[in-house]
Amino acid sequence: MTDAKKRPLLDPEILARLGTLHLRVRAITEGILTGLHKSPHHGASVEFAEHKEYAPGDEIRHIDWKAYGKFDKYYVKRFEQETNLRAYLIVDASGSMGYRGADRRMSKLEYASALAASLAYLLVRQQDAAGLVLAQGGAVHAIPPRAAASHLPAVVDTLAAAAAAGETRLGSAVDWVVEHAPRRAQVIVFSDLFDADERVVKKLAQLGRRKHEVTVFHLLDPAELEFPFDDPTLFLSMEDARSVEAHARDVRKGYLEVLRRWLDEVKRTAAEADLDYALCRTDRPLDEVLLPFLARRERHAAA
Amino acid sequence: MNLSFLHPGLLWGLLAAAIPVVIHLFFRRRPRPTPFPAIDFILRARRETERRLRLKKILLFAARTALLAAIALALARPRAERPDAAAAQVARGPRATAVVLDASASMGYLLGGRTLFDRARADALEALASLGGDEPATVVVCGSETPAAAAPSFDRAAVRRVLDEALLGAGHSDMTACVTAAVRALSQARAQASLPKRVVVATDLTASAWRLDVPPPMVDGPAGPVRPEVSLLDAARGAALPNAAVTGLEAEPDPAVGPRGYRITATLANFGAEPLKDVSVRLETGAGRDTRTAIRAFAEIPAGATAKKTFSYAFPGGGPAVITVALPPDPLAVDDARTLALVVPREVRVLVVNGAPSPIKVRDEAYFVETALASPGSPVRPKLVDAEGLAQEDLAGYDVVFLLNVRSLGARAPELARFVEKGGGLFLSLGDQVDPDLYARELGGLLPLQLHVVKTAADRGAPGSDARAARFAEVALAHPALSIFTGDAREGLLGTRTFRYFLTRPAEKRGEAPRVLAAFDDGAPALVEARRGQGRVLLFTSTADRDWTDWPIRTSYLPAMQRFAAYLAGGLEDRRAPPAPVGAPHAVKLEPGQTIAALVAPDGRELRGRALEAAGLDEGDPAVARFTPRLPGLWQVKLREGGAERPAPALAFAVWPDPRESDTRRLDAAELTAYFGGATHARVEGQASASAGHREIPLWTLLLALGLAAFFAEGVLLA
Repeated sequence: MTDAKKRPLLDPEILARLGTLHLRVRAITEGILTGLHKSPHHGASVEFAEHKEYAPGDEIRHIDWKAYGKFDKYYVKRFEQETNLRAYLIVDASGSMGYRGADRRMSKLEYASALAASLAYLLVRQQDAAGLVLAQGGAVHAIPPRAAASHLPAVVDTLAAAAAAGETRLGSAVDWVVEHAPRRAQVIVFSDLFDADERVVKKLAQLGRRKHEVTVFHLLDPAELEFPFDDPTLFLSMEDARSVEAHARDVRKGYLEVLRRWLDEVKRTAAEADLDYALCRTDRPLDEVLLPFLARRERHAAA
Repeated sequence: MNLSFLHPGLLWGLLAAAIPVVIHLFFRRRPRPTPFPAIDFILRARRETERRLRLKKILLFAARTALLAAIALALARPRAERPDAAAAQVARGPRATAVVLDASASMGYLLGGRTLFDRARADALEALASLGGDEPATVVVCGSETPAAAAPSFDRAAVRRVLDEALLGAGHSDMTACVTAAVRALSQARAQASLPKRVVVATDLTASAWRLDVPPPMVDGPAGPVRPEVSLLDAARGAALPNAAVTGLEAEPDPAVGPRGYRITATLANFGAEPLKDVSVRLETGAGRDTRTAIRAFAEIPAGATAKKTFSYAFPGGGPAVITVALPPDPLAVDDARTLALVVPREVRVLVVNGAPSPIKVRDEAYFVETALASPGSPVRPKLVDAEGLAQEDLAGYDVVFLLNVRSLGARAPELARFVEKGGGLFLSLGDQVDPDLYARELGGLLPLQLHVVKTAADRGAPGSDARAARFAEVALAHPALSIFTGDAREGLLGTRTFRYFLTRPAEKRGEAPRVLAAFDDGAPALVEARRGQGRVLLFTSTADRDWTDWPIRTSYLPAMQRFAAYLAGGLEDRRAPPAPVGAPHAVKLEPGQTIAALVAPDGRELRGRALEAAGLDEGDPAVARFTPRLPGLWQVKLREGGAERPAPALAFAVWPDPRESDTRRLDAAELTAYFGGATHARVEGQASASAGHREIPLWTLLLALGLAAFFAEGVLLA
């Protein structure tokens, strides 16, 4: 059920036409929710899962006395783990995130904002806490995670107000999370990873080592992946004053080769660090990104 | 390697090779500024591919430049000569050179907008320019005359001047004779005896100009005759020279067409490899501004063959006429038309005076004469009257009077004498009515010979009379009136038997002597002609009917009477000479007191005075002016007589192009080089390599292949 035609509200081209992030979030989450299977987790209520024969060391207060009455044996009730999760949404708002390959598409930042806001909504709806870390240059604009519904507008407003500018420095955002996350949390990164520091993925891996569950949404515009230019072009950097004049036809092959090598490197590093990595094209429907992520998370939680 | 170009002007096309540079420098596309996040990757990709890209760019640039340059060069048709040939030339040292320039009519062939003559002249000048300062040279311009050449000299300017001033002729050139003359000139200079000899021939290589059956020319060297080195510069560059020509034109009177009708037969020749279909052929009449197309027809001429085209045409009036048969214009213009000047017989008005009429036709004195004169196709219009009727006739309305056995003219005799004096013609036949004394009184001044007595050679009907009858002997067959009796026709005249005739007295020694055109076998005059004033008188000493002779029933009688009438009317001129080819002398016969005032050439120029002398008019003989025309076509004559100048259409003459020059089929180069001693002594330049001993390499094909390769290379590089 990921076909964009069936849920047009998830098509980025249509979303791009929706003026505000609030509207986009609603459209996305409605689309997602209608597409989700019925979840076994309804809120954060503690639910019985199974019985287990008592063994020394088990919590005595979990002994099911009714069962003892029936079977004359001690059974211990086991419950679903509480899913009261804290999630940090790191959104890269550097200059390069402002790129859009075609006018009708969303910029990478808009796409990232839509994803982040939608996830925030879904998390809060599940009584999970969602916080936002907006990385722009070396600066970090953060909203600590909270599970209250009243917390959402602040997140969405911050994202909506974000303008792409400055260099990519995800390291500072990672540092902020390391510093402010007291216990295990979910860290979701939305970035194109065009970082001045080439070892940005390794930096993210630091979070993994601190038991945080890290998911990287690697956002790239189709134009960046396919390089559809054909004429002599003056390419201008979006983060600094550099420019390069080249005949697009001549450099295309080399560019795609360099890009492929870099993507392989990123994927390999992410796999080594056990990061959850997903490459997202900004022309694909958002549910193609969100649904697999949610499904993964569910599986992970059930394990 | 000597490099030369067939079309050097097209080398300007090489500038096209600069187009890629110009585009690169001046028309470079301005790059579009585009913000792009992954600029690092572009920089890295560029760093990695920079050397390869630069090489590719240079290769692309070279391919484009090579493509344009190769096409431009190929269009200029370059030719390369093997270096060994050029080196051999240099190694050979100085030589005495004779340049032979073909100026025959066939060199007027237009090839690529230039005549072969202009091309050959350029070739000859180029050959002259390539000579070293220590090489003496001479030149032979090969026109229709027997050429003469000076010994080689070091005055290069004089040789160049001769070449520059050389004119294209309209006649036939004998190239073998010209080369022989050139070789003779090379042998003349004893001081240069040690130098090797070389002949450069700039020609179109038409087979008709060469006589390869005579021994090849040899240079008299100190050690005996040696073969000279011969360079043949082919002005046609190996191209075939198709040509259509009118090679013959005849006009014969054809009574079936009507009065003054002619059957005109033109011979059309095709000297090309392709048959010519539906060729338009025009018959034109008149000359100059009065030219008009009389008949338009179509002909088919097979390849390398001739075809006859016949026109039937009746001239509207008698007198001198001009006809031209013309083909559509082709590259060789000189032989596209052929002109013929002829005299169309005028209508001759004849008054026949019957001295012995009879109701029985065959007994009538004038029956045979009138029948002969009025036969179909005859230009004569006879009117028959008897002796009494003569008194009512106005003689001024007639050209000729036939008096047939008339007894007496009475009061009209002086009038008749005046008629003859003014140019009228008089024919007299005799008979039993004629009294010699009365004739002597009335017509004494007119009679060519005075009549004496009647002689009876044999009695008609008596046994053996046929054998004893008189026959014509000593016939002046060269006379215009009798010139038609040739071959079998002569028998019809000589077989005539005459039984009775008048004998004449000997001629008196006054005035112009009468001319006996025919005599009987006993020596008595039978036909006597005399000039009286401007007129002529012809006397037949027997009868015009069958009374005294059987001539009227002979086959010769009818044409003889018609010719007599035409001759006496002045319409039968001396036999016209057939048109001569260009360069052959032509004689213009002049009456006493006439001189040539001007000649109008076929191109409309009027030659008079000095120009006439310069053109070679010879008036040494007052009766005949001799002139050698140098242009084919119709030449008109203007006469000066008694201080006045008048055109003389009757003297106009046609000059024909030489048919040998129409034959533009070319000689095989190998045959010609073999004639001059093979590849070691002779070579043909400017021909396709196959026939020129493999000395030239056709570079243009290689260049086109290179251009094609560059084109593909460009495509591959762009892919």
